[in-house]
Amino acid sequence: MLGLSLALFGAALAAALAGIGSAIGIGVAGGAAAGVMTEDPNKFGSCLILQALPGTQGIYGLLIAFFVLNKLGLLGGAGAVDLTWNQGLQILASCLPIAVVGWYSAIWQGKTSAASIQMISKKPEAMGKAIILPAMVETYAVLALLTSILMLMGVQVG
Amino acid sequence: MGVARLKKAELYYHKSVHEQIAASLQESGACQIISSDVENQTKHSDIEKLISCTEEKLADIRYLVRTLTPHYVDPVPALDRMLGERPDVTMSELEELAAKTDLKAVCEKTRAIEHEIGEVRSKLSEAKVNDSILNSLGFLEYPLSVFSEGTRTLTALAGTIKAEKISGLKAALGDFSIYSEDTELIIAPYDEKKDKSQDIYAVVIYSRKIESEIRELCAKNGLSLVEIPASLTGTVTEEKEKISGLIKDFEAKESELAAKIVDVANENIPTVQKLSDYYNSLNKRYNGTAMSEETDCTMLTKFWIPESKVEELKIKIENISPEIDLTFSDPEPDEEPPSLLVNSNLVRPFNILTELYSSPTYRGIDPTPLLAPFFWIFFGMCLGDAGYALVVFGAIMYVFKKYKKISLGVKDFIRLFLLCSVSTFIYGVISGSFFGNFIDSFIPFLIPLKNSLMLVDPMTNPMQVLGISLLLGVIHLMFGLLIAAYEKMKSKLFIDAIGNDISWFLLIVGLCLLGVGMGGMLPPHFVQIGQFMAILGAIIIFIYAGKGKPGIFNKIISGFLALYGSTSYLGDILSYSRLLALGFGSAVIGMVINLLGGLAADIPYVGWLVAIVVIVGGHIFSIAINILGSFVHPLRLQYVEFFGKFYSGGGEPFTPLTLSQEFVNVKA
Repeated sequence: MLGLSLALFGAALAAALAGIGSAIGIGVAGGAAAGVMTEDPNKFGSCLILQALPGTQGIYGLLIAFFVLNKLGLLGGAGAVDLTWNQGLQILASCLPIAVVGWYSAIWQGKTSAASIQMISKKPEAMGKAIILPAMVETYAVLALLTSILMLMGVQVG
Repeated sequence: MGVARLKKAELYYHKSVHEQIAASLQESGACQIISSDVENQTKHSDIEKLISCTEEKLADIRYLVRTLTPHYVDPVPALDRMLGERPDVTMSELEELAAKTDLKAVCEKTRAIEHEIGEVRSKLSEAKVNDSILNSLGFLEYPLSVFSEGTRTLTALAGTIKAEKISGLKAALGDFSIYSEDTELIIAPYDEKKDKSQDIYAVVIYSRKIESEIRELCAKNGLSLVEIPASLTGTVTEEKEKISGLIKDFEAKESELAAKIVDVANENIPTVQKLSDYYNSLNKRYNGTAMSEETDCTMLTKFWIPESKVEELKIKIENISPEIDLTFSDPEPDEEPPSLLVNSNLVRPFNILTELYSSPTYRGIDPTPLLAPFFWIFFGMCLGDAGYALVVFGAIMYVFKKYKKISLGVKDFIRLFLLCSVSTFIYGVISGSFFGNFIDSFIPFLIPLKNSLMLVDPMTNPMQVLGISLLLGVIHLMFGLLIAAYEKMKSKLFIDAIGNDISWFLLIVGLCLLGVGMGGMLPPHFVQIGQFMAILGAIIIFIYAGKGKPGIFNKIISGFLALYGSTSYLGDILSYSRLLALGFGSAVIGMVINLLGGLAADIPYVGWLVAIVVIVGGHIFSIAINILGSFVHPLRLQYVEFFGKFYSGGGEPFTPLTLSQEFVNVKA
């Protein structure tokens, strides 16, 4: 059963660390958004979009966690597949890219989002640029997600 | 197509008709007034007067909008308003409305109510403070006038003291030599066992003769004074009754005034909003005129106008007065006119993507038609779900059917998503995604149909889609390089075009052919062509980088450095892997939602209901979050990877003189 535990540990890390990162990132951006909106409540729409940007890492983490659970047969009534500890470790390793990169990139993306929110408070017409700057950070979360997915697909179980 | 050709117009007219002229320029919405030299600005005394007059009105309007809008209950929902459901009015109707509306009176009324509210609120808060003081002085039996007036010989002070210091104060007062029947310390009842640091009310009554000594003693022993308002004179019970009556009165008054201001808001805000647009329009118009040059009786206004609007405006202007001279000329080579993007209906919605980055210069290239097809495909691949596409398409068609007055800018933005929903649908069908794996989970009889339409399968063969994504990336980047080369050739910079752009094109295309050919997917002579192209490209890059560097050694170093730049192309190409990742993301999130819905369906009795809620709500969430991602990431690919090769923008967008339409649809 060590294999299953290791694999679950991986899924937990993916969902938890990436989720923590997103929560911090959205929190930082939300603080800036609230500040801007006290001056100009009409900016709610654009602020919300910028605030939501660091939220994707949490979703990527969740996605990988579900991917693992599905692979393990824990969703639906089929029952868990048998794993050697080696296979479990492989799944754990596959979860690490999105867990770690998701965690860190979401925090930094949140900081960039907060800065972008400050920017549109002064220059609302620069919304396009304001969205792109945080999206630059997210690139690495996307790449980590891709790595995790490809690694998971490569792991043979059952 | 691309950046519209503009004409520079010079319009001479008699001063007496300046209002009509400015009005028709504004109503045409196609003229950007050119500011004349600064030293002429002071001459327009009568126009300055008109401007200051409208500004005065606007100050009142801004005050009313700011004060009354929070109290105004808009009968039209905000979304409807954004989609154009607003009153239609003409300028002449607004003029009549402005003539019969007494803005000053409304302002005065509002100010009076605001003032009254402020007064009542401050009285109310004072009463509440007094009430709380009275609550803590409940233990005192003497009338409160003892604090403010006292008797002939006695007076008193009140304060709070920490429970632990009470004994100290008592002792100090006891030791004080003149301590006699004249001085009395009354402590509020408190629980000694509780927290030692709690604040306890204490009252000291003392002889006037020893006032300063007593005050000093109290301060030394930790009694912090509480000011008892002079308005409290009776006993605590009497005063409490009075104050609770007062509080009730003030609260009633406050809510009455609040209702009154809501009435004023509901009565006046629709008018104020209309007038806001009216005076803002006038203000813009006069400021436009103020940019003209003038002599004693004639004025000269210069403006940019798109070539296509010239005839229309000519007829309009010439109808105003015969004493007019209107000439059009092409912009001089040293002039930098603003840029207006003109594209066909199919490409126009993508204008906003270019404008969000930066408008092109007047003589520059309009990248919109070039990026449009790529953005369309990329968006489709990122959202990549036939079901989501149908929802988006349906929602937009519903909006277009229900709202007929959507402003052009908003309409184009919505149309962008309408177009992209088509590519999303196509990619959804060929990748077999319909609300995630909805077909596999819930409608199994459609599986054969779905499978027969599938061309790619990211779920079981992601490497295939990764390959397609990267290939699209190479095409996109190479297209960007070719545009850059074309641009340079147009300005006769042939060597730069070859050294900077064509060389990289050869190297990267050659390497791709080489790689793919060696993988056995192309006939062998492609490998040779690829090899040749790559080597040629590399040689050109190497030589071009050394151009202008002194000495053979420097040339070689800079050549190698330039070749090292190929890593940035590698990064650019790999960046397109996000197309796979995001498409994959939407598919898997959809799958997870269906899975949860399926699990929920097993709950006894209410399972089907929970399943519907989970599936519908989940997919709506998924659509929202994935549209955001599918918009942002393809946009980044355009801005960073694609524009990086050939486009920098930097033009000034064409901003014609128009009517202000912040609150209502103003027609000419």
